[in-house]
Amino acid sequence: MGIPIYSPTIEVPLFQGYYDGLEAGELRITADAETGEWIWYPPEVVPGKPDAVLEWRKVSPEGRAYTFTTVTRSLLPGDHKAEVPFTVVLFEPDDAPGVRVPGILVDAEGVEPRCEMRLRFRPVQAGDHKIAGFAPAG
Amino acid sequence: MMKGNRIAITGVGETPFLRKGEESVLMMMARASLSAIADAGLTPADIDGYISNKYAGHGSDEVAHAIGAGEKRFCAIADSAGGTATTGQALQLAQMAIEAGLARHVLIPYAIRSTKPGGVYGVHAREPQKAGIEMPVGFFGQPTYFASMANRYAHEYGMTEEEQAAVPMTYRAWATLTPGAQRREPMDLDVYRQSPMIATPLRAADCCLTTDGGGAYVVSAVEEARDMPHPVVSVRGMGLGFTNWPQGILFTQTPSTFAFPGEVSARRAYEMADCDPKDMDFAQVYDGFTISALVQTEMLGLCEKGEAPRFYAAGHAKPGGRMPVNTSGGHMSGGYVPGINLIIEAVRQLRGQEGDRQVPDARLCAVAGLGGNSHSTTILARD
Repeated sequence: MGIPIYSPTIEVPLFQGYYDGLEAGELRITADAETGEWIWYPPEVVPGKPDAVLEWRKVSPEGRAYTFTTVTRSLLPGDHKAEVPFTVVLFEPDDAPGVRVPGILVDAEGVEPRCEMRLRFRPVQAGDHKIAGFAPAG
Repeated sequence: MMKGNRIAITGVGETPFLRKGEESVLMMMARASLSAIADAGLTPADIDGYISNKYAGHGSDEVAHAIGAGEKRFCAIADSAGGTATTGQALQLAQMAIEAGLARHVLIPYAIRSTKPGGVYGVHAREPQKAGIEMPVGFFGQPTYFASMANRYAHEYGMTEEEQAAVPMTYRAWATLTPGAQRREPMDLDVYRQSPMIATPLRAADCCLTTDGGGAYVVSAVEEARDMPHPVVSVRGMGLGFTNWPQGILFTQTPSTFAFPGEVSARRAYEMADCDPKDMDFAQVYDGFTISALVQTEMLGLCEKGEAPRFYAAGHAKPGGRMPVNTSGGHMSGGYVPGINLIIEAVRQLRGQEGDRQVPDARLCAVAGLGGNSHSTTILARD
């Protein structure tokens, strides 16, 4: 299986905390600093609360796959033929139900991806940056 | 509540649907519009209302100029995506304008150049969440999003490869009977299996076509329509449904990623039309992908929830089936001019003009339009 190589466009400070987390080996998502409610993806305006402050918080590296797909023809702009196939999963951390973090399935040789499979976060290097990876667990 | 049977689609027209065309979007909009106006027995001078579409990229001023129209009295933009705008919201706006006396004949044009630089996915690359979080892990492009929905749907309701394949095979069977369809060669299971996989479980055959083409229709009051050239095809019911999930978040964060607001749009449309799904003679379903067609077939009430794969596999939607669906091949075999070719085909079927593929005694049709976070259901009726 391959790894997609596509540099993120980081709208500072919208996604910087996410990539800082990946570099630190942590999965971080945004929450309302006052209430602790997960607000994901980080929006330009927090729904109904334009003055709300978002902060990056670490979530559980354990979770499950809501769904997945194995990409055999990458639709990313540019030539990505050498990077396929790769499997994208939508990961739901155990302590943030309903929140989904997209990442690629790793360390899964011989494993058939499926919905609800248990996964563990493992960031992987993709060119000059890290991306979210998730390995089968349990 | 808006009343049914007040407006009618009085003219329809389209350009050829091509894999790669040479004409601009505005040129195709003009050609399709002039064809629809002529079909209605009108001239451009008779058009006084316009519903534009934010995705087409050309406002009513440009279209009116391009067709050599007369005085414009009303214009509006359908502020939703895909089929919701072209098959539902545009009609709602047209009815409002006509009933308010703001316009007499309203033109609804659309055209697409799928082969434009940047392709059809360029719009997604501009969403900050997609560019920032999804694209770096390769989660990009409609086939990828809808493939992930298909796997979840299969997990919840079950779907074999044969059942999945029955959807594009059904639409292809209709396309073989449609002279203007883009893909007319027969498709059986072996042919389907030769189609390249894009993102599991969706093959190219499970995806809408790449099309350069345009379509348009004219809306007039029912009373006017009775004095126009064709049998009256009235809008008997319309329903719109919306969610507040923006397009940049929609495909990953909604509680169920394939729960489009189609149940609510269908309920509103059937209520307005005072009829039920079982009254429909045929249907047109916005088939961006096999999975979206399956889910909307259920949302229209043509089969039970979770049973659409079996519905298609049983042949109910095929030529000769009890509920024909996408009778000109839909977007997957006919051509992808989002939503608009579905409504054109519905009108012609209801007029009884479709020759080899004519649905016998077609009087009522449900048209489903998907716009991601929005959905429309429109019930068209022949008087």
